[in-house]
Amino acid sequence: MKQELTDLELIQNVLTGETGQYALLVKRHQRFVFTLALRFAKNREDAEEIAQDCFIKAYKALGTFKHTAKFSTWLYTITYTTAMTFLRKKRLDTSSISDEATFLQLENHTSAFNANVYERQNSHAFLHEAITQLTPDDAAIITMFYKAEQSLEEIGTALNMEPNTIKVKLHRARQRLKEKLQYLLKDEVKELL
Amino acid sequence: MNIIEQQLWDYIDGNLNETQRKNIEEKIETDVSVKLQYEELLSLNIAFSEMELDEPSMSFTRNVMENVALQPAPVSLKTKVDSRIIFSISAFFVLSILAILGYILYNTTFSMPDFSKYFAININVDKILTPTSIYIFFGIDLVLGLIFMDYIFRKRLVNKA
Repeated sequence: MKQELTDLELIQNVLTGETGQYALLVKRHQRFVFTLALRFAKNREDAEEIAQDCFIKAYKALGTFKHTAKFSTWLYTITYTTAMTFLRKKRLDTSSISDEATFLQLENHTSAFNANVYERQNSHAFLHEAITQLTPDDAAIITMFYKAEQSLEEIGTALNMEPNTIKVKLHRARQRLKEKLQYLLKDEVKELL
Repeated sequence: MNIIEQQLWDYIDGNLNETQRKNIEEKIETDVSVKLQYEELLSLNIAFSEMELDEPSMSFTRNVMENVALQPAPVSLKTKVDSRIIFSISAFFVLSILAILGYILYNTTFSMPDFSKYFAININVDKILTPTSIYIFFGIDLVLGLIFMDYIFRKRLVNKA
């Protein structure tokens, strides 16, 4: 059985002229990059545009990639900056985690789907719904920590923040996510989890 | 968030040292409310790690690769700047300098100048080398040494990280 090439081996191959192998890197990371982009953009079309832009930027800058960090961490840094640039262009509200006004504004948003939320039986759907109500920073940190196997230091590198700041933000993000889930599910939260 | 909840998350994440870990384990065992809180956070932690990633459209990879095909192929920075070019440039300059120096030396007739005409300086060393000036000299040396050691240790820490 042929062993799967690592990210670094694929990068090396692309840099030596086998550019087609970049498709393997895209396939490997596209779900996560897209999900991360979706945390910021909130709609699939914009997220897909951000994710594509991110992979093209990464391709162009592949020669500058230093092997001191994981490729994924480097890619998520590009995703974050691309998403931020995209949002700035679109003049969307991307308030930081500390902006309580945004948090409250998002809280009100829950009532719109509260009527049919109980019809859903899938716990993943509830969790997904709760994540979409978090601020982009919260959602990105939660996603990177749990789904990208990134350490606090690596998340800090990707989001250009200190690891301690990320730790505090992660704690607060989990707390908010818990509150959102409790709000969505009322007393069912324990049974569902 | 209360402190115990923060400690519980740190415990779940494995961010506590041995003493802190034992303390929180003791609290979980002895305090029912802490135990319930721990079980709840543990369930949440499992749910978070089971969250699903979103899937982009089917044509995503194809679209990216179509765009990528329009870009120039990326090249490693190491190969972008050929080391032979750098060596050639430096060799040219070194040879030029040596040639100029050789030419100057070849066309120069050496004779020892009479330094006594120009250097008639009467220096009283005892006035300059006072204990205070020696202390100042060593003090500056010490500070420079400490700055250098700090630089070395910082560099080592960064390299380890």
